[in-house]
Amino acid sequence: MKVAITPGFSELFIVVNPTGKITREGLLTINMPWLYAPWPDARETGVIETEVEGDTPRALLGALAQAYKHAGVDFEPINPRTNDMDEDYDVWINDKNYVAIPDGINTRLKDGDRVKVKILWRWDG
Amino acid sequence: MLDKDELVRYNRQLRIPNFGETAQEKLKAARVVIAGVGGLGCASATYLTAAGVGHIAIVDFDVVELSNLNRQVLYWEEDIGEEKVLVARKKLSKLNPTVEIMPVRAEIREENASSIISGADVVVDGLDKLEARLALNRACVEQKIPYVYGGVSRLRGMVTTIIPGVTPCLACFNPEGPRGLGVLGVTPALIANLQALETIKLITGQKPSLAGKLLLFNGDDLKFRIYDIGKNEGCQVCS
Repeated sequence: MKVAITPGFSELFIVVNPTGKITREGLLTINMPWLYAPWPDARETGVIETEVEGDTPRALLGALAQAYKHAGVDFEPINPRTNDMDEDYDVWINDKNYVAIPDGINTRLKDGDRVKVKILWRWDG
Repeated sequence: MLDKDELVRYNRQLRIPNFGETAQEKLKAARVVIAGVGGLGCASATYLTAAGVGHIAIVDFDVVELSNLNRQVLYWEEDIGEEKVLVARKKLSKLNPTVEIMPVRAEIREENASSIISGADVVVDGLDKLEARLALNRACVEQKIPYVYGGVSRLRGMVTTIIPGVTPCLACFNPEGPRGLGVLGVTPALIANLQALETIKLITGQKPSLAGKLLLFNGDDLKFRIYDIGKNEGCQVCS
């Protein structure tokens, strides 16, 4: 599937098989420049356009982790030890948290679906 | 000028190249605020006191409970029911009587954060709520005081050193994350000691290692990740 990825403040906004042009409108700046590491040319437009195999968030996140790994960035939303979402990240599919969706990260994505991957901050002390 | 006892007390750190008496004197003159004396604050306060930071304000509104004792190592069973800041002052003063420990019984909020941190050289985060951290962050940005953020849950933790005007602040990230997930005592101890190290570097004039960087610690897999972070030019607090 084709995906358009827009890095936000501590998250990636992803549109699956977008029908229209994806822009950074409303997202003026980027706090984590390393999010572009596998696709340095995308810095100019601010939107990463790439293709991944599979049609689930799990496949998408796995492909992204591989792309980051090749660029020397340790970004693994799916923990290889547990084969489940890592505690440092969370995922929303069309604004619904993946835990509230029957198939979770194994949900089959449709054209135009929106996936958000967010790095979670820690608040306990 | 360090006296004879201080030369002995700090002997092991005075031997470190590029540290020496000059750095120790900077520590002695420094004023640090530790916001929250829980799992993070107990550890950072202990090591900053031991290192000889001259003036430490410890801020907390809570009393010691049994459920604190797995990670808040300044408190023992005999302290249950006592005010944390008073117990912490007593223990820290016994560890290093040359350090001035100032207990402040307060809950950090928007309305009091500025006055609590006034005059500090560095503010060390030991809080457990996002709202209080954002209040502290704003006050630090306004007063241009470095703020060393630390946060934990379970076996995970994060640290970044915020230098107003130079690095992104906490509000730059529109941060989100869970609370109340539980925590293993070693996690805040580890994160707090990284915060203490950053604090010592800031005070002694060394470049802090986590300014403009976000460290993520994963104790499940024993991984440390460090990511570069930049300012949000639209941040309502620091831009």
